[in-house]
Amino acid sequence: MHNELKLTDMQTLESNKKTIQESTNTISLDLPDFTTDSYKDAYSRINAIVIEGEQEAHDNYISIATLIPNELEELTKLARMEMKHKKGFTACGRNLGVEADMEFAKKFFSELHGNFKIALEKGNLTTCLLIQAILIEAFAISAYNVYIRVADPFAKKITEGVVKDEYLHLNYGQEWLKENLSTCKEELMKANKVNLPLIKKMLDEVANDASVLAMDKEELMEEFMIAYQDTLMEIGLDNREIARMAMSAIV
Amino acid sequence: MFGLIGHSTSFEDAKRKASLLGFDHIADGDLDVWCTAPPQLVENVEVKSATGISIEGSYIDSCFVPEMLSRFKTARRKVLNAMELAQKKGINITALGGFTSIIFENFNLLQHKQIRNTSLEWERFTTGNTHTAWVICKQLEINAPRIGIDLKKATVAVIGATGDIGSAVCRWLINKTGISELLMVARQQEPLALLQKELDGGTITSLDDALPLADIVVWVASMPKTIEIDTDNLKKPCLMIDGGYPKNLDEKFQGENIHVLKGGIVEFFNDIGWNMMELAEMQNPQREMFACFAEAMILEFEKCHTNFSWGRNNISLEKMEFIGAASLKHGFSAIGLDKQPKVLTV
Repeated sequence: MHNELKLTDMQTLESNKKTIQESTNTISLDLPDFTTDSYKDAYSRINAIVIEGEQEAHDNYISIATLIPNELEELTKLARMEMKHKKGFTACGRNLGVEADMEFAKKFFSELHGNFKIALEKGNLTTCLLIQAILIEAFAISAYNVYIRVADPFAKKITEGVVKDEYLHLNYGQEWLKENLSTCKEELMKANKVNLPLIKKMLDEVANDASVLAMDKEELMEEFMIAYQDTLMEIGLDNREIARMAMSAIV
Repeated sequence: MFGLIGHSTSFEDAKRKASLLGFDHIADGDLDVWCTAPPQLVENVEVKSATGISIEGSYIDSCFVPEMLSRFKTARRKVLNAMELAQKKGINITALGGFTSIIFENFNLLQHKQIRNTSLEWERFTTGNTHTAWVICKQLEINAPRIGIDLKKATVAVIGATGDIGSAVCRWLINKTGISELLMVARQQEPLALLQKELDGGTITSLDDALPLADIVVWVASMPKTIEIDTDNLKKPCLMIDGGYPKNLDEKFQGENIHVLKGGIVEFFNDIGWNMMELAEMQNPQREMFACFAEAMILEFEKCHTNFSWGRNNISLEKMEFIGAASLKHGFSAIGLDKQPKVLTV
């Protein structure tokens, strides 16, 4: 077409050369400088969240086993895996010469962790599984998936290994909830309404630090919604039910 | 299983549809919410060919809307996530509809094979461009004589001649139709010269020079809204085939003896019983659809599980003949001037 044709209010891709150039260089352009102070500062909190998250996941799976003792062996296996992940992520921080801000991370998880503890004391297994095996696992998987694309080579390798395991954990909670859906649906919805907004809040809280690590908030949220929606679908909820549940993340 | 990846024609339209489907969380959301929305498998359908074979398929809405075109990363994610969903659902052959294939091609998404824990298998996807090109050519051959244009004497201009569909249309016109003259218009001159060499025919020209000379104009490039067309300078009668996406030609070309035809749309011989084409605003949504979508169905009917249309300038005459014959066999026909779908606006 003519050269004088201009990009207008109806944007067309064919006229959008700049983006095409951007796309061919994505891989090298998107990687941040891992050695700057600002990167390390942000990493000290993100890395701590990950380490604390894996520790709490370990503790939570051991706790969940007290509610379903016949699953002890399987849950202990999952818990052990989480400790292995914790070690891996600790090594990632050390590799960059960063000390994890564990105090920040404990505070970061405190509200969600508090809800888990209350549910555990009441013996609300569905709520415990929703928090740990659905919400936290989906949050972790989404963050790891985004991180892999922009991580330093050492952390990238570690994280790729972790993600493979995490899908198994998501699957564990999913299977139990699927089998018991008829009896646990109401509690699942209720617990979701309380806890999904916390995930959204946590995501907002780390957005700035994440962006220093070149992790885009929009992408994190989308990855979370994909993992979350996939799990709920596998559990056996229909589109409308999932839409209703996801609403809690938006308001 | 066949799959169709589509999207709404505008953000407003998308919200309205989401509300109808009960996806309240995104229906109420702003564009930022839509940018984080996962792809949705909206509908499953069973389709029976004119030969009696039955196949099953799914429609996936990528949750992309044209307003996201300026957000390169978002657009890229929407396409790749929808493709991942199609593959995870075990769909054998999925067509990339609307802007999906354009984004895939222009943003060079071939380099993004790994999506989370899924390694995309390209052979499961097709742009549907071979069928679209064949349908546009058939629309030209059938409808030009109906409005008094003799193909043997006709000058045909192809706007966007170097694109995947455009070059295939040129190839077909030169080799299969006996038209009098082919005018080729495109933004980039180098590929245009290569195409002319390959075809051993056709005249390279500008849009301004081509329009007054052409009895038939095939548009396979999106037309910017600001372009001013003087319809007095057009030949009468003239046939305009709107083969681009979105289809907005009839806003520019109105007048006596100017016939605008929605290009690349087919009609199935039977009602399909789906809601998805209502979402695409077809005039007869139970039967009409984009030819690229139909290509996925045809390939599934034929058990031809391969990325039949893929990459740029790979559409041969043989492939067009194959998909055309299969299209007719299974009950598809190109829509003509008497069957005009509503305007698809963006």
